[in-house]
Amino acid sequence: MKITKRIMGLALAAVMAVGVSQPTFAASTSQTLGSESVIETIKKRGVIKIGLDFFVPWSMRDTNGEIIGFEPEVGRKLAADMGVEVEFIPTKWAGIIPALVAGKMDVIISGMTVTPARNLTVNFSVPYAFSGLTILANTSMTEGMSLEDYNSEDITFSCRRGSTPCTYIATKFPKANLLKFEDEGVNVQEVLNGNAHATMASEPGPSRDARRHPETLSVPFNIAFDAGGEAFGMRKSDPDAMFYFNSWIRRHHNNGWLKATHDYWFRGNDWADQVDQ
Amino acid sequence: MKKFFLRLHWLDIVILAVVLGFFAYVFLQMGGNLKYHWRWEKIPNYIVKYHTGKEKWIINLLLIGLFNTIRICIVASILAIILGVFLGIARCSKNLAIRMLARTYLEILRNIPPLVIIFIFYFFLAEQFIQALNIEAWSYKIAKQENNQFWEFIFGDMRRFPSLISGIIVLALFESAFVGEIVRAGIESVDRGQREAARSIGMGSFQELRYIVLPQAMRKIMPPMANQFITLIKDSSIISLISVQELTYKTQALVSSTRMVFEAWLTTAAFYFIICYGLSVLFRRLENNKEN
Repeated sequence: MKITKRIMGLALAAVMAVGVSQPTFAASTSQTLGSESVIETIKKRGVIKIGLDFFVPWSMRDTNGEIIGFEPEVGRKLAADMGVEVEFIPTKWAGIIPALVAGKMDVIISGMTVTPARNLTVNFSVPYAFSGLTILANTSMTEGMSLEDYNSEDITFSCRRGSTPCTYIATKFPKANLLKFEDEGVNVQEVLNGNAHATMASEPGPSRDARRHPETLSVPFNIAFDAGGEAFGMRKSDPDAMFYFNSWIRRHHNNGWLKATHDYWFRGNDWADQVDQ
Repeated sequence: MKKFFLRLHWLDIVILAVVLGFFAYVFLQMGGNLKYHWRWEKIPNYIVKYHTGKEKWIINLLLIGLFNTIRICIVASILAIILGVFLGIARCSKNLAIRMLARTYLEILRNIPPLVIIFIFYFFLAEQFIQALNIEAWSYKIAKQENNQFWEFIFGDMRRFPSLISGIIVLALFESAFVGEIVRAGIESVDRGQREAARSIGMGSFQELRYIVLPQAMRKIMPPMANQFITLIKDSSIISLISVQELTYKTQALVSSTRMVFEAWLTTAAFYFIICYGLSVLFRRLENNKEN
C-alpha cells in the first residue's frame, strides 16, 4: 500500500512536470516563428530593450551609478534613430543569450564576438567594432616564456565564464588549466594574487590593468588573437531586424560615427574621471 | 560594562587572546600575499552621493540595490505566506488528491537545489506569467504617468518591474514550500480534541479552521516564520543570477566597473548582516514581550 502510494506520487510529479513544460515549448516556438518582427514590437512599445553586461570600457557604471561607455552610446544613438526610448537591461554574461532567446530583451549590444557556436542559437548583425584578445600575465610567474610555453599543464589561465576568451584559451592552449569566474574583477584579481598565470580579454582591458599594476601585471605579446568582430545579437528568424540593424551599422560606419565613438572610448581617456577604475 | 569584565574568567581572556592573535596573523599574512590596492574612501559614494550635475544628494548603486532587496523580500514573503498557508492546509486535507498534490510540490522544491529551481522557474514560469497578464505594457504605462510615486515607492523603477516581479515570483514560490511545512506543523500541533469540540458544537470544516485551528496554530507558527523571513532575505541574493537588480547584482556591477572587489563585497556583507541580525534581535524581543 505504501509503495503504491509512493509510485502514485511519482507519477503525479511526472504528469505535473510534463504539464508545466508543455505550454513553454509551444509559446517559445510561436514566439520564434511569429511573423511580427522585433522592430515592430519596439515601435509599438516605444522603448528598445538592450541587453548588456559590464566590461570596461564597453559599458560600465559611472560614479553616479549611471550606465556609460561605448555600447550605451551606440544603444542611445540607435534608439534616437528609431525614434524610441532606450532601456538597458544589465544581464550576467553567462545568461545573456538565454535571456535574449526568452524575450527579456530585444537585442544584445555588449561587445559580443561573433562565433560559430553562438551563431547556432542567435543571429548576428554585421560587426560594428573589431577588437582582438590579448594576454594579461603575471609578470614574475611567466618571465621569459614564449607563446608555446603557455600551452602546458603547469600553466593556469583564468577567464570570465561564458566569454569568448574562455573558449579561445581552451582551443589555443588545450593543455593549460582553466579557472572560470563570474566577473572580470575577480578574474584579474586571481592573476594579481598569483593563483593564475594569465588571463585573456579584449583590449584595452588588459593594457589598462597592466598600467594599473605595473610591478605585477604585463601584456607580454603584442598580438591580437581571434579578432572576429563584435556584433549585435538578435533572436533567430527575424529578417527585418537583421536588415534594419545591418543598414544602421553600415550607415554609421560610412559616416564615421562608429569609428569616432569607438576611438573616444577605446583610444582616448577623456572619460577617465567619470569612472572609479 | 565593568560588570562584564569582572564576569570574564582568566581562561576566557586566554581564549580571546588566541582567537585575536589568529586573526591578526591571517590578516598580516593576507597583506603580504594579496596584491591589492584598497580604496575604501570610494565606497561611501556608492551608497549616497552628492550629484554635482543635479546639485542634490542621490542614493547610489549599493543603496538602490539594498532598497530593491528589501522590496523584493517584503512582497515575496507576503506572497509566500499566502501560498504557504494554502499549501499547509492542503497538506492536512482529508482529500487524498489535494494532499498528494501539495506533497508533490513540496518534495520537488525540497529536493532540487534552489539555484536550479530559480533557473527553471525564471525561464519557464515567470515569463509565461508576465506574458499572460501583459505585465510589461502595464508597467511601462505606469512608468510614463506623472503620479506614479505610489508604485515607484513599492516597486522602485517601474520599467524594471517585469524583471523585479519575476524575481519576486520565483522567490515566493520557492519559499512557499518551507512556509507550507511550518503551517502544517502548526496545524498538526493543535490538539485533536479542539477539532472534535469544534465539530461537536456544529461548526463546518471551514469554520473549524478559521475560528479554532488557525488562531491556535498561528501562535506556534510565528517564531519559525520569523526565522524563515530572515532566510528569505539571505536567499534573495541568488536571484542576482537571473539579473534582478538587487543588492548582490548591483555589487557585481560595481565590481566589474571599478575592480573594488573586496571593498564592495565586504560592504554588501555588512548590509546583509545588519538587516538580518537586526531583524533576529527584533523578533526575539517581540517574542519575549509576548511571553511576559
